[in-house]
Amino acid sequence: MTTAGAGPAESGVAAQTPAGGEWRARLIDRAPFLVACAMLIALVAIYASFRDDVLTLEELNIDAAAAMTLLLAATGQTIVLIRGGIDLSIGGMISFGTVLAATQFGDQWTTTLGWTIAILAIGFGVGGINGLIISVLRLQPFLVTLATWSILSGASLLVLPIDGGSLPAAWMAFGSGSFLGLSSAVWILIVLFLFWLWFRDTRLGVTIRATGSNEKSAYLSGVSITFINVAAYGLSGLFAAIAALYLTTQTGAGSPTIGKDYILPSVAAAVIGGISLFGGRGGLSGTIIGAFILTIIGNLVFVLSVSGYWQPIVSGVILLIAVLASSLAERSARRRIN
Amino acid sequence: MPLLQASAVSKRFGGITALSRAEFHAEAGEVHALLGENGAGKSTFIQILSGALRADEGDIRLRGEPYRAANPSAAQAAGVAAVFQELSLVPDLTVEQNIWFRHERLTPLGTVRARALRDQTRALFQRFRFPPIRPDQEVRRLALADRQIVEVAKALSRDPSVLILDEATSSLAPQETEWLLGLARQLAESGKLVIYISHRIPEVRQVADRITVFRNGATVAVHDTAGVSDDEIIAEMLGRRMDRLYPPRVATATERIALKVRNLAVGDRVAGVDLDLREGEVLGIGGLQGHGQRELFQGLFGIGRAKGTIELWGQPMTMRGPRQALTGRDGLALVPEDRRGQGLLLSKTVRENLTLAVIPRFANFGWLNARRERALYEEMIAFLRIKAKTPEQPAGTLSGGNQQKVIFGKMLLTEARVLLLFDPTRGVDVGTKGEIFQLMRDLAAKGYAILFYSSDLPELVHVADRVAVMRNGTIAAVLEGAAISEDGILRAAMFQSGQVH
Repeated sequence: MTTAGAGPAESGVAAQTPAGGEWRARLIDRAPFLVACAMLIALVAIYASFRDDVLTLEELNIDAAAAMTLLLAATGQTIVLIRGGIDLSIGGMISFGTVLAATQFGDQWTTTLGWTIAILAIGFGVGGINGLIISVLRLQPFLVTLATWSILSGASLLVLPIDGGSLPAAWMAFGSGSFLGLSSAVWILIVLFLFWLWFRDTRLGVTIRATGSNEKSAYLSGVSITFINVAAYGLSGLFAAIAALYLTTQTGAGSPTIGKDYILPSVAAAVIGGISLFGGRGGLSGTIIGAFILTIIGNLVFVLSVSGYWQPIVSGVILLIAVLASSLAERSARRRIN
Repeated sequence: MPLLQASAVSKRFGGITALSRAEFHAEAGEVHALLGENGAGKSTFIQILSGALRADEGDIRLRGEPYRAANPSAAQAAGVAAVFQELSLVPDLTVEQNIWFRHERLTPLGTVRARALRDQTRALFQRFRFPPIRPDQEVRRLALADRQIVEVAKALSRDPSVLILDEATSSLAPQETEWLLGLARQLAESGKLVIYISHRIPEVRQVADRITVFRNGATVAVHDTAGVSDDEIIAEMLGRRMDRLYPPRVATATERIALKVRNLAVGDRVAGVDLDLREGEVLGIGGLQGHGQRELFQGLFGIGRAKGTIELWGQPMTMRGPRQALTGRDGLALVPEDRRGQGLLLSKTVRENLTLAVIPRFANFGWLNARRERALYEEMIAFLRIKAKTPEQPAGTLSGGNQQKVIFGKMLLTEARVLLLFDPTRGVDVGTKGEIFQLMRDLAAKGYAILFYSSDLPELVHVADRVAVMRNGTIAAVLEGAAISEDGILRAAMFQSGQVH
């Protein structure tokens, strides 16, 4: 009879990457994120060469406010992308959130608070329903969330057919307010980042990533796929609702059509930041970089006083570079294994 | 009282009966082997035990209590853990995250304790003397064998009272296999039940106390391992007596060189390989796992970054990808390692899989000729005796052995006469194994030249005309005639490492 100690196989050692290669491999794995950082630095440098006051706190306050709606929407999108899905319904939810806020908030702070909670609950609920439909009826996330986007867009138009409505003055004051020299947007950014540091290490965070990485493996490990979908799409809807609320502090009005401007950019911000559309990989720091890249492109187009149509062109090129970086990292990873 | 009693368990998928009143009774403290051909119902049975499937009928009792796992977590909670053939690891999580997935220790904030994760993993590895694997590597970076080992660690992390090993050694090197067999014994001696599923009968002999044989979804026999012969077991699995697993080896090699390789390097894993593969020859490639065999095959097929000279039938060839490598009678064809991932389109039909690579053979100016296509696939289905209800059956619904036959058919249809077979019998039942070996010898007799890697040493010994043993990315020795033996191959594979026992 053999004993368990008979053969710690040397082939186990042979299969490992040597230490030097290991370090390089990890660097290549991070390449998409590093490329995004490099692009952001380059853009900021170009921007700074046209204006003197770019590297100031004031500029950070302004840019954070400009990027925040997109970033909030992209945070939800990031969670869903890591799950291996996609959420188009956030466009509908953002519109719906702004029109509800602009028509329902009124002058009483209690009404405002009540409706704020209601909008957040609707966001989570609609997202949860997305997740439920996707898992129970086994439908494609793309199509399910396209449908809920359409439904929410129609609902928004029923509530408020044209841009308008009004928000309480105190509500608006929060959006333009600052504390300790940092605008509310920068504070939200800090909270968002802390949230992510916590969330990614929770069991739910790990499980969402695992399910995105390989759904079947996750299922065999005891994960309820339905629960994970409800949680991931629910969080995405919740963040879309938060994005809508933040947006109203900036615009002071509701808009039944504004949400569609955030659907593809939210995906783009995440992908530029190195999040894989195949799920399982990436984090919010990448998305934050991505959202700032897209925002600064807008600033650049403005200071260069060229046609605004250049903005999507440059964004597209940046997106291609980001996708290329991810794909190169992917290919190199596969080569290492084979 | 037996620890596990499964009585009259039945399961149907649509019109197909996978299990029909199967019986399985096993005690605590034994290693109990479950044997049967692919399609005999073993996988269905253990999936029911581990909560991945629900039985239609039957009574399963664990420690005398009714046991009915509604999902994998319920099975885990009841102390039943399975090491699946289809791996349950998450590629983007690290080794340690995978092992403790869903039962990690948490901080008061609800986040995973990274420190505890590492300590627990070290302790587990030490306790069961695991081969060295870095706990902080992502699983997607690991070789197949290492993933298999992590899968074992994951199952053990739950401290199960029933451990199911389903073909767990199929991708392991000999030493790792020894380790796992020792582990199974160790667990049994500490009062656990180990259910051991393998197509390798010598392993079963070495490790199992008792054997239950399934055939066509029903239990046909239960034996004490010591009191039964290999022939009896195989006969019970097949329901008929097997003539011989290995066909007679008749030397059919000619002097003509089919594949001449000089100074081949692939990536940084293979260097300085010289090979001559002759017409009508089966040339075995041996060695410990991870010594460049996989890269050699990929390099020859044009997937890796290969440098060096390759001549096919005397013509130098440059390969830029599988398309060039595949073409026609002067090309070569590969049976890849991972048939479910690389070799087959599981959701496509048997017909589509067979003819996908050879569309030009039945196309006129882009139009497909269905009649000519039918002639091709029907020939292959008949020639290889592929058991499919119709050619339109999805390949993923075939048994493992028949899936492998479809890959052979796809390869033969390319008309290439240099065949690269990478572990073609992995996870294939014993009946189909015999057919595959016979097929290899038949093809060699027809003048095909076959390069054959197997992770199973006896296969190399009994089927190959010569065996080239790889070590550290190059050919360490070429064995011929009487020098071909399991012992000889292992010696050549390990010569420099000083590990010859």
